[in-house]
Amino acid sequence: MTPEELIKRIKERFEVEIYTSQTKTLHPRERIWIEVSRNDFKELMKYFQEIDPHAQFSIIIGEDRGDHLSATYHLELFCENSPSLSVAVITSCPKEDPKIPSLGDVFPSSVPYERENQEFLGIIFEGIPDPRRLFLPDDFPEGIYPLRLDEKGITPEMVKNAGHPYKIKKEGSK
Amino acid sequence: MNSRIEYWVKIPIGPIHPALEEPEKFIITLDGERIIHVDIKLGYNLRGLEWIAMRRNYIQLLYLVERICGICSFSHNHTYTRAVEEMAGIEVPERAEYIRAIIGELERIHSHLLNLGVVGHAIGYDTVLHLSWLARERVMDILEAIGGNRVNYAMNTIGGVRRDIEEKHKRMILEMIRYYREEVMPKVEEIFLYDPTVEARLRDAGVIPKRIALEYSAQGPTARGSGIKKDVRYNEQLGVYPELGIRPITPKEFTGVIKGDVFDRMVVRVGELWQSMEIIEKAFDQMPEDKIKTFSKDNVALAKLKKAEGAGIGRYEAPRGETIHYVRANPGTDGPAKWKAREPTFPNLFAVARALVGEQLADVPVAIASIDPCLSCTDRVAIIDSKTGKKKVLTEKDLLKASIEKTKEINPNIKAKPEAVGGICGGVRL
Repeated sequence: MTPEELIKRIKERFEVEIYTSQTKTLHPRERIWIEVSRNDFKELMKYFQEIDPHAQFSIIIGEDRGDHLSATYHLELFCENSPSLSVAVITSCPKEDPKIPSLGDVFPSSVPYERENQEFLGIIFEGIPDPRRLFLPDDFPEGIYPLRLDEKGITPEMVKNAGHPYKIKKEGSK
Repeated sequence: MNSRIEYWVKIPIGPIHPALEEPEKFIITLDGERIIHVDIKLGYNLRGLEWIAMRRNYIQLLYLVERICGICSFSHNHTYTRAVEEMAGIEVPERAEYIRAIIGELERIHSHLLNLGVVGHAIGYDTVLHLSWLARERVMDILEAIGGNRVNYAMNTIGGVRRDIEEKHKRMILEMIRYYREEVMPKVEEIFLYDPTVEARLRDAGVIPKRIALEYSAQGPTARGSGIKKDVRYNEQLGVYPELGIRPITPKEFTGVIKGDVFDRMVVRVGELWQSMEIIEKAFDQMPEDKIKTFSKDNVALAKLKKAEGAGIGRYEAPRGETIHYVRANPGTDGPAKWKAREPTFPNLFAVARALVGEQLADVPVAIASIDPCLSCTDRVAIIDSKTGKKKVLTEKDLLKASIEKTKEINPNIKAKPEAVGGICGGVRL
C-alpha cells in the first residue's frame, strides 16, 4: 500500500487533517502525520489494526503545548516491507480535562508508554489496565508532573544541582 | 490430588543493575520452579534527560544524547541528527552517509561480540566470555583510533560527520576484518551454531513466539530471532544502506528453523557480525570523494536551525533494535521545544517479561541476557516467602550457580565457577 492509498482510505472514513513530510536523503522517506480529535482517536487506531493486523507500535510522545496537551503516536505499518509506512497520529486534550482513551486493548505494547506519559505529563488514559507508576519513585509528590511547563511542573525551588557544571552554586556560597 | 499445597513465591530481581542504561527491577512470581508472572519497575537511574534537553541548544544536545548509553552511543547520536535533519530539511553529503554506515557497523560488531560473551558467561562458559571480549578489543582500538574514544566517539554532527576516515584507518579496518573472518568467526560459529551443550542449553529457553513479538512490538535481534523480517535500515531505506545491500537476517538462513528462543537470537547476532563486515567492505568500495559536512561551523548550523519549523522523527537500527528520536522546533530559538528518545530495550523488556511466563527460574539469567540488557550485573535477589515472611538474599553468584547447575546436567564436564562479573560491565560501558 502506498501512502496515497492509505490517506485516501482514512479520509473516506474519518474527518482528519493529514499532511506528509519528506526527508532530503538519497532515498526520500515519506511520513504521514494525522491530526485527529480525541473522540475519533480510538476508532482510527482500531482502523489501522484492521488495515494491517501486525501494525507495530513505536512510541507515545507527550507534549505540553501551552494551552493544551498533545500526544503523538508513531506506528509502522507493513513492517516487513521496504519502505514500510511510517504514520504519526497526533491527538490532544485540554489541560482542564486531560483525558485520552487508552489503547491497552488494541495495542498491548502501548501500556508502558501510557504509564510513562501519565506520570510525566498528567495525561489520564481512560481505561488503562495498569495505572501504576513506571519511572518515578513511589514517594514522588502527587500532582506534580515533571515535564509540564506550567505551575504543575517542576518549580525552581525543587531543582538542586542542575545546570551547567561551572554555574552550579556550591552549598553555603552566595 | 487435592492434597497438593500451592504457594507462590515472589522474587524481586534488581533494582540496581549498574551496567544497564536502564536499571530495572523484575518481580517474579513463582509456583515451584515455574514462573507465573513477571512485573517490571523502571526508573532507578532516571536522569531527567528530557528536562535537561529543554535547556540545551541543538549542538549541545548532540553530546547529551550520546551519553544516554555507552554501547549505543553512536546510534543515539545518529538517530538524533537524522531527526533534526528531517525537521529542518538538511541534506547530508554522500561521503558522510558512508562514514556513518561504517562507524555504525563497527559499533554493531563490538556490541554483538559483547553480548555473545555475556550469554556465554550466563550459562557458565567463561571461555566464550574471554574469547569474544578479547576479540572485541580489536574493534574498540579502531574506534579509538578514529574517534579518539573507546565509547562516545562523537562522530556525528548536524549535516554530516565530524571526522573523515583516512587511508590508515581503512587499512586498519580491513586488517581487522581479515582477523575476524579467519580467526574469530570460525570459533564463534563453532560455539554458537554447532556446540551440542550450548544448543541444548539455549534451545527452547526464553521462547518469544512470533505472535507475542508482533503484539508487543519487539525490536532488533529479539524480533528477528522470532522470524519477523524487520530491520529499520531496510524498512526505512536509511541513508546509503539500500546501496550496501541491507536485508534483515533471520535464523532461517543459518539453521533452517525459527523457534524464537535464545539460541535463535544468538544465531541472528552471529549472522549480523558477518553482514556488518560485508557492509563495511562494500562501503569502502563505493565511498565517493566528497566533503563530509554541510555546514563548515556549528554556529552556521545553529543559525539555519533557528529558522526551522515543524517536527522530525529519526529512526535507526541500533545493535539491540529500533531507536527512535523525535524533535520539534521552537522557531526563533536555537534549541528544540521538545526532544524525546526511545531505546529498543524498553519494548523488548516487556516482550521478554511476557515470554518468561511458564519458564524455569534458572532460565531467567540467560533469557534476559539474550535481549542484551546483560543480567550479569544483577547484584542481589531477595526471596521472600509470602507465607512465613522469611527473607533469604540470593546474590548474583547464587543465581549464576543455578544456571551453571542446569548446564552441568546436560554436560558434566563444565567446570565453570560462579563468579560475579558485574563490576567489569560497569567499567566497560563508561
